[in-house]
Amino acid sequence: MLNTLQMLITIVVIALATFTTRALPFICFGSRQPPAILSVIEKNLPPMILLLLVIYCLKDVQWFSAPYGIPELFTTGIVAGLHFWKRNAMLSIFTGTALYMILVQLNVFSFI
Amino acid sequence: MAKGGEDKKEVEKRNKDLFISAFKTTVPVLLGYIPLGMAFGFLLAGAGYHWIYAFLMSLFVYAGSGQLLAVALLAAGAGLTEFAIATLLLNFRHAFYGLSLLENFSGVGRVKPYLIFALTDETYALPITTDIPQGSSKSLFYFYIAALDHFYWITGSVLGAVLGSVLKLNLEGMSFVLTALFVVLTIEQYFNSKTYFPFLVALSAGALSLVLFSPDNMLLASIVLGTLILIGREYLVQKKQSM
Repeated sequence: MLNTLQMLITIVVIALATFTTRALPFICFGSRQPPAILSVIEKNLPPMILLLLVIYCLKDVQWFSAPYGIPELFTTGIVAGLHFWKRNAMLSIFTGTALYMILVQLNVFSFI
Repeated sequence: MAKGGEDKKEVEKRNKDLFISAFKTTVPVLLGYIPLGMAFGFLLAGAGYHWIYAFLMSLFVYAGSGQLLAVALLAAGAGLTEFAIATLLLNFRHAFYGLSLLENFSGVGRVKPYLIFALTDETYALPITTDIPQGSSKSLFYFYIAALDHFYWITGSVLGAVLGSVLKLNLEGMSFVLTALFVVLTIEQYFNSKTYFPFLVALSAGALSLVLFSPDNMLLASIVLGTLILIGREYLVQKKQSM
């Protein structure tokens, strides 16, 4: 276990490392023009990253053992369907979350 | 941003309205960061550390997966170099967030350093997908979103560190709120852009990275892979046009 000073130094190191990753593009392209190719892909990055974050959220799902990711896929489908239908962000998000909590806490898919 | 002669009360009211609309935008993050922050605080306290460290880390580091990694490294007795390298690698995806925000953040003034510091997955996802209320200041709106998210995260981690062992709340499954948030924001992006290509890239790069990399590394790997595909495709399109 680390003592107070070691712990504080460790926190400073982690904080600096994290800030570096976030500040890097702003430092690189703060004063000079970013390459042309970058401005073209700039508009394609956000949709790609958002969908990758969805996939990342599902990364720990056990696809090959019961319940085979069915609670996650089912709830994600409900959220997406509800959002295409009503386009009400709060409604889609909270219906989905409540549904998922019920599914996992009551172990609804335990019969699989 | 008061203009000359404008009533001070009116500015205050407008800022308050903007704060409320920023709060509404961040409610899903509130519900996601409290249980996630609690999990982090609980683990750090479980490793024998005072809650003040959970507070300091969430205040100065402010990275969900980065802080959970730190707890694992603390338990493993890692050295400073390992902390630095592991954190850089895990959070390198954030560099790509900044790349797509260069233009958007160029006019935000003195809150810019804080907005860059606070660029978590969720705080990246909200500003790029939320319309700024009409007639209000972009920098102030972004600042409210970033600061609120930061506040939720700190609150959650301190709560977890202090109460984790006492409280027996069953929050299992609540962090799905962040999955649902990203699903909704992805669909909103689709409504706005109506292009399929970035989504196809994400699906293929994501699936490939899930197979090839460990769950912890798949996000960075898939973002790098996807960005390369986007660049490659753009290069091909330009080449075709010039022929």
